[in-house]
Order: sequence, then C-alpha cells, then structure tokens
Amino acid sequence: MMSAPRRYDRALTAIRWGFLGAVMVFVVFPLIWLALASLKTRAASLEVPPRLIFTPSLEAYEKIVASGLVGAFANSFTIAVTNVILSLAIGVPAAYALARMRGAAQENLSFWVLSIRLAPLFAIILPLYVLFKGLGLLDTRLAVAMAHLTLTLPLSVWLLMTYFRAMPVDLDEAAMLDGARPWQTLYMVIVPIARPMIASVAVIVFIFSWNEFLLAFFLTSRDAQTVPVVVAGLAGTMSFDWPLIAAISICSMVPALIFVGFAQRHIVEGLASGAVK
Amino acid sequence: MAVSWRFWFVLPMVVALGTVVLFPTVYLFWMSTQHWLVTDPERFFIGLDNFARLTGGADFWQSLRVTGAYLVLSTVLMLGLGMGLALTFARAGTGWMRAIVVMPLVIPPVVAGFTWRFLLNGEIGFLGAYLLPMAGLDLNPLAEPRAALVSVVIADVWSRTPFMFLIFLAALQSIPRDFYEAARMDGANPFHEFFFVTLPLLKGALFVAIMFRLVDAINTFELIYVMTRGGPGRATQILSIFGWRTAFQELDFGQAAALGVIMLAITLAGALLVFRRFVRGQVGAA
Repeated sequence: MMSAPRRYDRALTAIRWGFLGAVMVFVVFPLIWLALASLKTRAASLEVPPRLIFTPSLEAYEKIVASGLVGAFANSFTIAVTNVILSLAIGVPAAYALARMRGAAQENLSFWVLSIRLAPLFAIILPLYVLFKGLGLLDTRLAVAMAHLTLTLPLSVWLLMTYFRAMPVDLDEAAMLDGARPWQTLYMVIVPIARPMIASVAVIVFIFSWNEFLLAFFLTSRDAQTVPVVVAGLAGTMSFDWPLIAAISICSMVPALIFVGFAQRHIVEGLASGAVK
Repeated sequence: MAVSWRFWFVLPMVVALGTVVLFPTVYLFWMSTQHWLVTDPERFFIGLDNFARLTGGADFWQSLRVTGAYLVLSTVLMLGLGMGLALTFARAGTGWMRAIVVMPLVIPPVVAGFTWRFLLNGEIGFLGAYLLPMAGLDLNPLAEPRAALVSVVIADVWSRTPFMFLIFLAALQSIPRDFYEAARMDGANPFHEFFFVTLPLLKGALFVAIMFRLVDAINTFELIYVMTRGGPGRATQILSIFGWRTAFQELDFGQAAALGVIMLAITLAGALLVFRRFVRGQVGAA
C-alpha cells in the first residue's frame, strides 16, 4: 500500500535535486564567465576556443578608473540615495495614512498607486523628456532622480502600507490617548517598530534606482549618465572592449550583491509579500 | 477633524506622483495629437493622424507581432520554470541555493543582456562560437531572426524568472500542509496532488504572475537594446524599441507619443482584465 507513494517520492527527490543542479548552472555560469572575462586582456578575450586557465589581469579595472567612468558610479549612487531619502520621506507618512484610512478614498488612492506600477514606462518618457528639457534639467542627476520616483515611490508606499496595515491599531490609539499628535505617533511609535521593514524598503528602492535604465537613458546624454547607461553605450561602440564592459558590469552588481547578502531574507520576503498579499 | 491629518500625510505623495506620473500621462495624450517633429519648429493639432500613420505602416504591425511572440514565449518559459522552482524549493534545496537562484533579479537587466550577448556572440562567444558549433549546430544565434528572438527571451528568462518563483513560493507556503495529508489519505499520488490540490490553490498567484509578465514584457527595453537593437532586420524589434526608433532616430515625437498611448492602452486593458477577474485584493506593487 505504501510502496507506490514511496517509490514516487524517491524518484521525485532525484528529479528535484537534478533540476536544482541544472538551474544553478544556468544561473551561475553566465556570471562566472562574465567575471572571468573581466580579468582577461582584450586580446585574450577574443580567443576561440576560450582559455579557462590564463594569467588574470586587472587591465580592465584599471581602465575604468583611467577613462573616468567612475563618474557614472557617483551619478548612480547619488541618484539612488536621493531616491531612498525622497521615497521614504514622502512614502512613510503616505503609507501610514493609507493604512489607517477606510472607505472609498483609501481604495481609490491605493488603486491609483498600484496602477502606476502597471503603466508602461515608455508612456511617460517623452512627456518627461519635454518637461525636463523645458526646465533646463536634461542630463542632470536631479531629473533622473525625480523620474525614478515614478518607480520607487509607488513601490515603497505599497510595501509599507501592506506592512503598517498588519500592525495593531491599539498601538496608535494608546499613543493618541497619551496625547501624542499623529506625526508623533508615527515617528515615535510606529517607525521604531517598523524599522526592519523600512530598512528593507530602502534597500529595494536603492536597487531599483541603481538598476533602472530606460528613464536614465532617455534623460541623460553625458554628464549625468548612470552605470547601466554607460554599459549600454559601451556595448554599442564599434571598438568593442569586452573585458572593460565585463569589468563595469561586475562593479555595477557589487552594491546589489552586498545589500542582498546583508538583508536577503528581508528583501525576498518584502518583494514576495508585496506581490501576493 | 479625523480626516485632516491623513490628508496632509498623503498630500506630498499625491503632489509628487501627480508631477512625475499624472501630468506626463495627460501630456502624452496631447502630444499624440500634435504634428511634432524635432526637426520642424512648427507644431499643430492634427487629430488622430499620428495614429493613422502609425497603424498604416508595416513597422507597427511587425513590432506588435514580435511583442506578441516575445510575450507568449517568455510567459510560458518563465511560468513553467518559476513554478518548477517553487515546487522544488518547497521540498528540497537550501537557503544559499535559493539566494543564488534569486540573484539575477537584483542584477541590472543591462548587465544580463550584455552577459548573454557576450556568451552568444558568433565570433567569440562561449556558446555562440564554441559550444554550439561543437554540438554540430551551425548557427549564429544573434544574427538569425528566429534564433535572435529565442536568444533575447532566454536572457529575459534568466533575468526575470526569480520574480515568478518568489510569487509562486509565497503562494505555495500559504497552502496548509493538512490539504496534502488529506489527499494522501485518499490515495493521491504526487501528480494528483499537483493537479487537484496545488494548481487550483495557485490560481490567484498564477494570474498575478501573468499580469506582471504582461507589464514587464511591454516595458522590456534595455535587454533587447543591448543584445540586438531590435535586429537582425526587425526580428526582435518589440514595441518599446520601435518607440525609441520613432522618437530618437526618426525624431517624430508625435507618432512616438501615439505609440505610447497604444502601449498604455494595451497594458492597462490586459492588466485590468486579469486584475478585475481574478486577483482583486491580492496584488502588490513589487
């Protein structure tokens, strides 16, 4: 009676681990290959068949510094940090108010916030381009940072709102009974408790802004170019320098990987709960 | 009284999103009705001419077809792989394996595109110039129309499947274990369990995933821009690439805006259809 399910179980276990192994290779191999390429000289990167054993060279990484591409990292960092600050400063109170609202206003506002996530970015790019051009802000970090709010603000409001809503209202009521004003309740009672969630929202916002391409690509031409835009630009030139692009790509992944290593659990939970709750 | 503080708390968000989202969207509709060439200082109202010229050209329909094929192929692969991973991780695998599988999600899509272009390149790529020829497949994946489309889909699958996986995993973990125990007592085998217990309970998550895929497929740009620029010919020119060409190579902002309106309509119609019917109250913003 029990043997049939057991046989299935054993076969399934084998299939599961085999499948996982295959997926791991699919995920990891391209990254290892990229990392290896970044350590090759330009000539070595063009060899077929490719050599697995070679003398590593830091030429490509030195080139990043020498050719002034560090500026793109400074741009990406400034823009991402600005987004973290703005989307939390604006998003935390808004999310809290939405979480403590009832009725039609709450439903319409939160649906509006959500629907922004569903709109194609391409639809707002041309108007934003014209707007920033009119304001003389094209190719500035400010323009890109503001444009990124279209992504990061709805995202942080939604994640925080879901979280605040799950917090018991008793806390607020107790604070208000003690004579606290709403903003005092928020910053002295709610925010300290929600600190882990706020931290992971900050990380998610940073990564979204750091990785974003389309808006940064359309709104910058030289001075304010972010790292992804520079990568795409180099990948479009005729004198292809594979190791240089690979090296920049590797560097562009560092912040995301550090943050994810540091707060992976929270982020994964945040992203998943944001999607399904 | 009670409403007032909530109003002030929400106001900055409404102002910010009004400036960077609502105003541009309204402005887009106005732009789409204008004769608006970057090279021509004159601008005037031309009604729906931009839409007529857009839908009268072969490029638009070609892009629509490519987008459709791209959407269907990537959805099937991502849902299948994401579901497979979620089911597998519910029973096997370790924490660090999960971290690795999720990793591509935080890697910039530009980098994903570049990495796959590097692997698939027909002259120096490990897959395109070494492994595929060795396997007897004599094709340059990025230079042939069908293979190029499959290539960009594979890169996108690599980059975006983790998101599907996370959606399914969260949904799977919310299914009570008793359901499976009850099914086993009734003599169900693992396949019965999947089709009669798991799948019906994952229906909501499945539609959430499809909705996000629709949105993300319409938004896909840099991956294809870096890998093929829409080529060879127009084989991978999805709507967003076509829009970029129209706006920044043909410098026709009016027609590009009309395309933006059409893309907006497609996504919202598709998303609302799925949202209204299946997932009200279950969807989030990630």
